[in-house]
Amino acid sequence: MSDITTPVAPKLEPAALPPVDDVNAPPPPLAVPVTEATELSQLTTAQVYELNQSLLDEASDVERPLIDQLLPISALRAEYENGNPAFTKQIDWLTEKGYQYIRRTRGDGDCFYRSLAFAYVEQIMSSIQPDDSAQKALTVLRDTKPMLEQAGFQEIVYQDFYEELESLLLRVLRPNEITHQRLDTVTLLQSFQTPEVSNSIVVYLRLLTSAQVRADPDAFAPFLFHPEIGEPLEVREFCEAFIEAVGKEADHVQMTALSRALGLNVDVAYLDGRDSSGQVDFVQFRNPEGSTLTPITLLYRPGHYDILLNMG
Amino acid sequence: MASISARRLSKELKEIMNEGCPVGITLLKAEDFVSWQFTIQVMGESLYKDEIFTLLFRFDRDYPISSPAVQFVTVDGKVSPVHPHVYSNGHICASILGSEWSPVLSVISVCVTLQSMLASCKKKERPADNDRYVRHAPDNPKKTQWHYDDDTV
Repeated sequence: MSDITTPVAPKLEPAALPPVDDVNAPPPPLAVPVTEATELSQLTTAQVYELNQSLLDEASDVERPLIDQLLPISALRAEYENGNPAFTKQIDWLTEKGYQYIRRTRGDGDCFYRSLAFAYVEQIMSSIQPDDSAQKALTVLRDTKPMLEQAGFQEIVYQDFYEELESLLLRVLRPNEITHQRLDTVTLLQSFQTPEVSNSIVVYLRLLTSAQVRADPDAFAPFLFHPEIGEPLEVREFCEAFIEAVGKEADHVQMTALSRALGLNVDVAYLDGRDSSGQVDFVQFRNPEGSTLTPITLLYRPGHYDILLNMG
Repeated sequence: MASISARRLSKELKEIMNEGCPVGITLLKAEDFVSWQFTIQVMGESLYKDEIFTLLFRFDRDYPISSPAVQFVTVDGKVSPVHPHVYSNGHICASILGSEWSPVLSVISVCVTLQSMLASCKKKERPADNDRYVRHAPDNPKKTQWHYDDDTV
C-alpha cells in the first residue's frame, strides 16, 4: 500500500456520536424490554414475529432511497442542530470550503460502494469531454475482468454484474437502444435507485475490491483484521467475509483497493465531531496513475458514507 | 430484461445439466426460478450413512445478491438430519446462508457446504433451543435472526 497515502483514521468516541442508521450499528433498544437474557419462550408468537421484523427493518433503513437527490448540506445540518455542536461546526466548516451539497445513500452497509459508484459514473458523465472519459473508464473496466479471473472468480459469478456497470458507461457514449436516451443526471439517478441495477454494480465493485486485495496479498495482509474483534485474518477469510459478502461495510483496506483497481482518487471527509474547532479531516486515497484526476469526495459519519460535492 | 435471479439461475442450471452435480447430490426438481429441490447424502463413513435428505431452495428476484432461503424438507415422510445446527422443522443455522452469504456462492456450493457440515458432525443431536425455536419459527428461515455462535460443529 506504499504508493497510496493512507493516514490513520481519526479515532472515534462513541459516546459523543449521534445515531447513524446503518446495519452495523448496534440496534437501538426495542419498545418491549427484550434483552439477551429474555427467554424467547416467554414471548408470544406475535412478539417473536415483531422482534424479527423490527430487527430486519432496522437492518435495511428501508425508508431512504438507495441513493437520493442532491440536497443542500444545510439539510444535514438541521438534523444535528439539537445535538453535539461539534457536528454543526464541522458542517459549517465544510460549507465554507465549498462543500455545499450532499447526496445521501441508504444505510445498508453497501453505502461506500454505492456512493463511490454513483460519483464515479457522474464524474465521467459530467466531465468536459464525456466521450473521452467514458472510453478511458471502459478500458480500465474491461481490464478488470482478467483480474477477477486471476482471483478465482468464475465468469458465471461476475458477468451479469459487470454488464450493468459497463452498460451505464456505454450510455455516456451512445443512446440506449430502447429508450434512445443518453445517460443524464435523471437517468443516472433512476438507474441507481433501481435495486437490480444499483445492487449489481455494488456487487461488481465488491468483487473487484476483493480481486485487488487477493492480487497483492503482501501489500494488504498486515492490515486485514476482523472489524469487530480485531483479530488478524487471512486474505481469503477477510475477502470472503468482509468484502464479497453483501452489506458489509468498507474501511481503509477496501477503499484503498477499490480506488487503486479503478484508478481513482478519493477523498473521504470525516464528520466525527472530534475537533471542536470545526475542522474536518480528509483521508486521501491517491492513485499514482490518476494524479491529474479530480478526487471523488465522500462524507463519512461513523458507520455511514454519503457523497459530498464541492460546487465552489 | 430477465430478472437478475433468472439470468443467474439459468446459467447455474445449464452448468448442472452439462457437468452434473457433485457426488452425493442430485437435482430433484428445477422447473422454475422460484424453488429448486435436491437430494443430499454424505458419502463414505459418517453419522449419516445411508440417510438421504431433501433440500429446498427458495429464491427471490434478487438472488444471488440476496441469499436463497434453504432448508431441509420435512413433509411427505422426509426428515431433517439430526444435527446441532439443524432444527426439526428443517431450518438450518449456517452463517453462509445469512450474514456471510455472498454472490460468489451458488446453489451447488451451498449443497456442498451443507454436505460437509453433516460429514464432519461428531454427535447427532438437535440444537439446544430446538423446541422453542420450532414453536415460533417463521415459515421462511431467512426471517430468523440467527446467532452463529459455533461454526466448528
